[in-house]
Amino acid sequence: MLEPLFGVLALFPTADDLLKAIPEVKKRGFTKLEAYTPYPVHGIDEALDLPKSKLGVLVFLMASLGAISMFLFEWWTSTVSYPLLTAGKAYNGWPAWVPPMLEGTILVGTFTAALGMLFVFNRLPFFGNPMLRSKAIDRITREKFALVIRPGAGGLDTGGAIAALKAAGGEDIEVVQAPRYSKAGLAWWSKAIGAVGAACVVAGYGTAWVIRTFPTTRPMVEMEDQPRLDAQAADTFFASGRGMQLPPDGTVPRTFMPILAAGPGDGGKALMNPLPVTDSVLERGRTQFDIHCAVCHDRLGTGKAWLDSTYKAQPTDLQSSTVRDASDGYLYWVISRGFASMPAYAADISPDDRWAIIRYVRALQRSQDAPMRDVK
Amino acid sequence: MSAASVRRGLWALAALGGGGVAATYFLAGAQRFWVNWLLWFVFGTCLALGALFLVALQHMTGARWSVPLRRAAERIGALTPWLVPVAIVALFSLPVVFSWTQPDAASLTPLVLKEHWLNRPFFIIRLAVCVTLWVVSYVVLVRGSVRQDETKDPHATVRLRRFSPVFMILLALTITDFAFDWVSSLEATWYSDIFGVYLFAGAVTTAIAAVLLAVMHLQRAGRLPGVTRDHVYNLGGLLFGFTIFWAYIAFSQYLLQWYADLPEEVFWFQQRLSGAMEYVFIVLGVGHFFVPFLALMSRDDKKSWTRLRWVAVWVIFMEFVDVFWLISPVLGPGIHLGWPELSFAAFFVPAGLLVLGRAMRLGDDMPTGDPFLQAGLDFHLP
Ligand code: HEC
Repeated sequence: MLEPLFGVLALFPTADDLLKAIPEVKKRGFTKLEAYTPYPVHGIDEALDLPKSKLGVLVFLMASLGAISMFLFEWWTSTVSYPLLTAGKAYNGWPAWVPPMLEGTILVGTFTAALGMLFVFNRLPFFGNPMLRSKAIDRITREKFALVIRPGAGGLDTGGAIAALKAAGGEDIEVVQAPRYSKAGLAWWSKAIGAVGAACVVAGYGTAWVIRTFPTTRPMVEMEDQPRLDAQAADTFFASGRGMQLPPDGTVPRTFMPILAAGPGDGGKALMNPLPVTDSVLERGRTQFDIHCAVCHDRLGTGKAWLDSTYKAQPTDLQSSTVRDASDGYLYWVISRGFASMPAYAADISPDDRWAIIRYVRALQRSQDAPMRDVK
Repeated sequence: MSAASVRRGLWALAALGGGGVAATYFLAGAQRFWVNWLLWFVFGTCLALGALFLVALQHMTGARWSVPLRRAAERIGALTPWLVPVAIVALFSLPVVFSWTQPDAASLTPLVLKEHWLNRPFFIIRLAVCVTLWVVSYVVLVRGSVRQDETKDPHATVRLRRFSPVFMILLALTITDFAFDWVSSLEATWYSDIFGVYLFAGAVTTAIAAVLLAVMHLQRAGRLPGVTRDHVYNLGGLLFGFTIFWAYIAFSQYLLQWYADLPEEVFWFQQRLSGAMEYVFIVLGVGHFFVPFLALMSRDDKKSWTRLRWVAVWVIFMEFVDVFWLISPVLGPGIHLGWPELSFAAFFVPAGLLVLGRAMRLGDDMPTGDPFLQAGLDFHLP
């Protein structure tokens, strides 16, 4: 069976010769041209009227997608799924998400560039470029610059093409046939997948063997091996036998204010909330409540927070009538001193913030139990 | 318009601006005056040092494509000696705007700890050392190269290549010190180790933009025969790269201080992120990074001279906004933008253009004595 024609090929000794030949061949009416060169040649795109590669656009789109999906991923994991506080800052701490976004951009961008080039624009896995069967291919990959006239819609005048290439200074003119290749079949795919699988197994066992055989070396140990007292760890340096030391008796934080209550027994009931009900107080209360209380009491105060299953004690429902009827002073007392299995927060939350939290808790309660006149 | 009438116009504008500058001192107060003075001092230093950096970078890497463009960078480096008077005048701002010279400074613990560094004699010595090193480097790098136009001595190229790494080390040390002394120490309790790099990144970005403008201007005037679109394209690529570098450094500085949330660090950002200053910050983030980043991303963008010209002007303006954002909040909350600022701009911009215009006649238009000039002119994009 006659094989279809791929094109007529000629070799040129230098890149400049190739560039000069292209317009001459074009002048004779051959416009469907391809060039094969050992290295990228400047100006060849323009000479052949090749359209600009779309790869750049593809990479840009995919890289932007990488950034956006990383942003959504971070936002969902640390704001929606498991609200996370970065070192006491409010939710949505986006600056922390930028490094992963940058990495997502670069990762997806480079993968798109490499794989897109191979699989989308160069049509892998297609191994059968007819040029590979030409006699000239060895020299093209080493030293020669090839120009190929491809058949147009109406076929190719082989004799005319040969003459045109010769006139333009081409040597070693050759007619290249395009053999019919069968598509990659089941056998090919099973071999390919098998090979990848085998490579994974070898690499996995090889790595495991290396790790087990050679002791792990730590490249930098300076910071790790310094003499220091670890938090929560035993240590022989102090007589007490531990690293962390208790503050001397009677130590108070710099801004410490004792709870001014009538007596130890009254549970703070007589205290009044010194803060006004303003937007900024409620806003401050909201952030502080979300930071300190919401983990246990939920952001609505229902007591059904996301710690539920791991935290054994049942936090009180702040919407319950007991809490609703309790005075502000009593809530202040609970926050400051703790209550049964709830820890004390005097050390973590300043008095003003405690009062602001209470204002906010009142607002939360109102939001779940609004009287009819609020709705109207 | 003839060159002479442009020059006359610039002189007139500078004179007008000069009047406004003097008026600022008496009508708007010494503080406002000195803050503006520092602004232009820092901005001019960035531009000059950035240009010297580009010259030294080219010698150090042995790059050939940039040889025909080097004279443009060298000429912008000619701003360096003019820094001397501006720096000397700037010393008088010490008692007015620097927080560590204020009477209550002694009560702040961090300042007591920094006393060995932040005291007037040592501060002045450091400035003198820095400026001297810059001027000496300018003489060696630029004057040496201009002299080569006549001597055609290839050994000069070798000498410059040897000197460049030394200059790089000096630049790294002096620009860090300059950033710490003249910008950071305005708010002396603030710490940021990366700050020198931050200023450096902006400086180089601006210098590349300025070189781009100079090269396109001279090429259009037919004074750079042989310099092609490919050379200019490469400069556009550099500008693109350093835009990203600036953003990387700027964000790193912000992120670390945001994370750590230490009172002695975040107050600095609070001043620059609260109130009206926040808009300046947004303009800076968008304008200094996203605009040039997107405008120069594609290959065609860097081939269009119209676009390159606009981006270069914009980047230089943004660097000024950056310096404004760094220094101006010393005056207290709000944006301090009014006739004093306009007067300073009306004085320093034409003065700078006059200096640069004169510098554009320094030596030949290309380093004709450099043995690699022809190799540079032969450059084609691969
Ligand atoms: C570590 C989880 C935890 C956190 C955080 C927490 N609580 Fe509690 N809270 C509890 C538990 C558990 C109880 C119920 C204790 C019990 O009844 O044994 C409780 C009870 C209460 C009560 C009811 C007291 C009573 O008289 O019944 C109030 C009011 C309260 N918490 C308010 C707060 C506020 C306000 C905050 C934020 C500052 C807060 N809690 C933070 C776990 C927590």
